Amino acid sequence: MLAALPRDISADGHLISDALRRGLVEQAVLLGVLVVWLVLALVRFRASHAARADRGDSPRQVLTTLGVVAVIFLVVDGSLVTDAISATEGTLWNFAVPAADPDTVRVEVNAHQWAWDFRLAGPDGAFSTRDAPSDDDVLAWNELVVPVDTPVHLQLTSTDVVHGFYVPNLLLKTDVVPGTVRQLWFRATQLGTFEIGCAQHCGVNHYKMRGELKVLPKAEYQAWLREASKVARLGADREDVGARWGWAWKERPR
Amino acid sequence: MSAPQGFLRRYVFSVDHKVIAKQFLFAGLVFLALGGFLAMLIRWQWAYPGRPVPGLHTLLAASDGAITPPVYQSIFTLHGLTMIFWAITPVLIGAFGNFLLPLQIGARDMAFPRLNAWSFWTFLLSGVLLLASFFAQLGTSGAGWTGYPPLSGPTGSPGVGQTLVVAAVFVTGVSTIMGGINYVTTVIRLRAPGMTWFRLPVTVWGLFLTSVLNVLFVPVLGSAALLLLLDRLFGTAFFAAGAAVGPRGGDPILYQHLFWIFGHPEVYILILPVWGVVSDLLSFFGRKPAYWYRGTVYALIAVTVLSALVYGHHMYQVGLHPLLGKAFMFFTVLISFPGMVLVMNWLSTLWRGSNRFTPPMLFALGTVFVFGVGGVTGLSLAGLLTDIYLHDTLWVVGHFHLTMAAAVFLGSMAALHFWFPKMFGRELNSRLATVHFGFTFVLLCLVFFGQLLAGWSGQQRRLADPYQYDFIKPLLPLNKATSHAAFLLAASQLLFVWNFFHSLFRGKKAEANPWNVGTLEWTHAPSPPPHHNFDTIPTVVRGPHEFSTDEAKARGTDWLPQAEGP
Repeated sequence: MLAALPRDISADGHLISDALRRGLVEQAVLLGVLVVWLVLALVRFRASHAARADRGDSPRQVLTTLGVVAVIFLVVDGSLVTDAISATEGTLWNFAVPAADPDTVRVEVNAHQWAWDFRLAGPDGAFSTRDAPSDDDVLAWNELVVPVDTPVHLQLTSTDVVHGFYVPNLLLKTDVVPGTVRQLWFRATQLGTFEIGCAQHCGVNHYKMRGELKVLPKAEYQAWLREASKVARLGADREDVGARWGWAWKERPR
Repeated sequence: MSAPQGFLRRYVFSVDHKVIAKQFLFAGLVFLALGGFLAMLIRWQWAYPGRPVPGLHTLLAASDGAITPPVYQSIFTLHGLTMIFWAITPVLIGAFGNFLLPLQIGARDMAFPRLNAWSFWTFLLSGVLLLASFFAQLGTSGAGWTGYPPLSGPTGSPGVGQTLVVAAVFVTGVSTIMGGINYVTTVIRLRAPGMTWFRLPVTVWGLFLTSVLNVLFVPVLGSAALLLLLDRLFGTAFFAAGAAVGPRGGDPILYQHLFWIFGHPEVYILILPVWGVVSDLLSFFGRKPAYWYRGTVYALIAVTVLSALVYGHHMYQVGLHPLLGKAFMFFTVLISFPGMVLVMNWLSTLWRGSNRFTPPMLFALGTVFVFGVGGVTGLSLAGLLTDIYLHDTLWVVGHFHLTMAAAVFLGSMAALHFWFPKMFGRELNSRLATVHFGFTFVLLCLVFFGQLLAGWSGQQRRLADPYQYDFIKPLLPLNKATSHAAFLLAASQLLFVWNFFHSLFRGKKAEANPWNVGTLEWTHAPSPPPHHNFDTIPTVVRGPHEFSTDEAKARGTDWLPQAEGP
């Protein structure tokens, strides 16, 4: 296959991939009309054909032109806009969905040149911040571990430059901007390890800012989390202020 | 008015718009070659990542000719900047704007001839700054052509190279604004008697609206560049944020707003003159009036008005307020309406014409096709939903190269092949030009279709070695094939270089009006026109597209001049 969309491993990625495929078909049809019209005109009306001094500005012609354009506009652009609004507001950017689910896994992400830091709150449910340390936070470097079939809510920021958090297999992406907190949420439906990439040029090693998304069965995830936070507590160092880059979770970050 | 004597006054420090046009043309073509060379290096890296580039062992001595990541990021940064500000802008606006505006509206020169010369020399100064950045310690800019802070700030990009590049952008902006004011004034004030707004060639409309946008929005780019320079040189923090500045930071998103308020009109700045040229040429070589001329003009005006209301689609993923995102999406799709009117008018102009496949016509037809592809592939980027996936992938790169690179390049070639006889008084070899068109058109399509395919598969932009990612590894054969098409594309430009220079000195002498069209530069001035353009200023009596009308047939011809008499 010359080119294909990545395999979708999420509950809602089809919203994007379906819209992409539908858009591609519409684009192909529009382009097909253009090419057929162009080729027919050039084959039929060559130098040997006497030109007609048609100015195309009679009311009937103008209305025809505007009418054709209006129909294409309403069908193609109209569906594009309504699809986009319903899918983003209803699901993809609707953070009320993960907020309402008691099982939602919340992760804070700190992007920096050139790696992804992931932070889970641990059993106490509180993220370790500069002012309020919490010793059981699970920190992972370039590895995001999540349970299958569970909402995962990410909040992301950057300490240095603009990055782009990108998981091809979720068809999801967001810019990550220092000074602000961005959000994403998804529900992985397939087990396995998938790539996380940086989408926004962030300096010399932009191309190496690669992480992994690991989707585990629910029980296995719980076991991993218990073990990881136990290890975290053992290794916790309250002197290390830099390690407490988390922030108090807000459902509506700035 | 007599021409100044002496080589320097006549050819170097000239205030003649035709000479300045040629200065812009030659300077722009040199930068085009540089930008093209950088593009080839990018393509090399995607086909053979890390392998030494043949012939670059001395230029990249530290790595024995291989493109290292720091060199790579400078290459794609300077490729974008060079092409947009130092190649397309001078060729399309500097050269054709200067040459055509006075000649097509029936004026003896620009409204402000000295400002015109200043505009060129300021442009040249900015080019020197740009080239100087290559020799700076730590190298030239590597922050991408968009120069997003904090990466382009003092912590993200230390070193004087980035400062020089931002300064160069600022200075070239000054040059563009000087040109823009001059062009706008010229079209408003210096039209010949009878040259009403709706008798202007569409080319003039395109250049005029481009200049309006330049005057309005290049200053915004200037403000962004200036604030960035303050951040870099004087420790301000307008655009700084994150650990390096702590709580006293500014807002990196503010820069993106300023940049794209300019940046989106900029893509129309670059395409409007091409749309104008194509609208005229399809009529000229279809020997038929331009279909719904006023509709075309209204469409160009609508695009101009909307151009700054759509810029937020570059920022869908930075966390805009949802209402703002929707508003930008609405305006973005709205701009496709005038775009479609334009394409419909072009196709209807060809219909029932008497189409002559001269080199300028072929390039114009090629422009229609690649612009069509570029236009429809933009739909997926206009939608908030589909952009989530396509944002920052090669789909974006393919889309804007089809519109801004392929369409603008083919459109500029159409213009150059059409007006070459008028500019230089000699004809290009049309058989060679046809072959050059064939190679260029097919290969441009292959190269940018290849990028669309890689983007569809999810490949991000600006990766020094894309194959660090497992999901991109299968795309190596595709990228390699695309690169080979790009190398052939570059090689086939030698046909043009040879044709250009050979015709310049040895070409057949051109007649005053070899194409039999009615606009003033062809009907009322010899090839090339004298210093003062017109012996007497013509009085215009009709529009630019009077082909195959009954009145023309009654005169035993198929075209009528815009002005009667000598």
